[in-house]
Amino acid sequence: MNDEAIHSRAERLIAQDFVEGIADADRRWLEQHLRECQHCGTSAALTGRALRALNSAVIPTPAGLAQRAQFRVHLRMQERQENRIQRGFLWIACAASWLFGAVSAPYVWSGLQWFGQSLALPHLVPEIGFGLWWALPALVAGAIVLAENARYRRQRDWSN
Amino acid sequence: MAAICGSTLYLSKMAIDDDLRSVAAGLQRRDPELIDRLIDQYQHRLFRYLVYLTANRERAEDFFQETWIRVLERGHQYDGRSRFDAWLFSIARHLVIDWQRQKKAQSLESLVEPQLNALPELTDTETPSPLHLVLSHEESIAVQASLDRVPAIHREVLLLRFQEDMPLSDIARVLGAPLATVKSRLYRGLENLRSLLMERQHE
Repeated sequence: MNDEAIHSRAERLIAQDFVEGIADADRRWLEQHLRECQHCGTSAALTGRALRALNSAVIPTPAGLAQRAQFRVHLRMQERQENRIQRGFLWIACAASWLFGAVSAPYVWSGLQWFGQSLALPHLVPEIGFGLWWALPALVAGAIVLAENARYRRQRDWSN
Repeated sequence: MAAICGSTLYLSKMAIDDDLRSVAAGLQRRDPELIDRLIDQYQHRLFRYLVYLTANRERAEDFFQETWIRVLERGHQYDGRSRFDAWLFSIARHLVIDWQRQKKAQSLESLVEPQLNALPELTDTETPSPLHLVLSHEESIAVQASLDRVPAIHREVLLLRFQEDMPLSDIARVLGAPLATVKSRLYRGLENLRSLLMERQHE
């Protein structure tokens, strides 16, 4: 094995030892080589010291870091709880609205039919009117929910 | 003796697994006391990781808070089968990448120019550099300067492996990358670091 190949092998084993460990036979070879080769020995020592320093490095945390995070998390929990209650009311309102619509639909339909006949309107007019009456509350509710979600996302978008 | 050691290790592993499962259960319940405890427990490591990732202490604190908000909201996704710190760091990492994508239309992987993503100044006038605590002044400058020049994509795995002592499998989980990719980046990072340190040594 020529010198270049020996040094390449040493560099590879040094890195491998740091990353995932090496076999005993390789370790014995490497230790022998590091004793004999100043360049590789220095390289291994420098890298080892740097990595140990990295492991020991402590970056001071700002005072109150944890407390501020805990406060924000608790606020968010409270917000979620309030949203859940509001959504609960929304679902109840939707259910009541649907029930009311189902119960009153025959009467509304009859009323619109009578209205259309009274004014001699085409059949399509009371039919469209009935469709709008049926669909409009759901469309309005959906638009409100989408707008609320968009507003919430904008508030949380901290790229602003 | 070997049997006793084996049993001790097995029991320790069982205790750790139980602990992770209880954390997972607590997060699914959104237990406020658990989350407070986790914030206290991981504050130093998470903040350090974010400082190295963002090179800005103020921004790191913003991300620190946002990470825990995400932990609250996505706690049901943690199943307790992997280490909690790996999951936590992956959340933090994704937040930083999303922010960087919004700001610069780049991902962490595309930041190949190390000068664009230099490490923060760890020294200030009142607190000695953390590297100064373990090295001489010249050495700490050399290590920090060399680490500055390692590409972010490699520096990140060096930090996770040698600063956070994370197993390779957990690093793969944090990065969302295969184990082979993690090893490749580690080897490249070590090679970069080694070359830079030797370069400074000869200056």
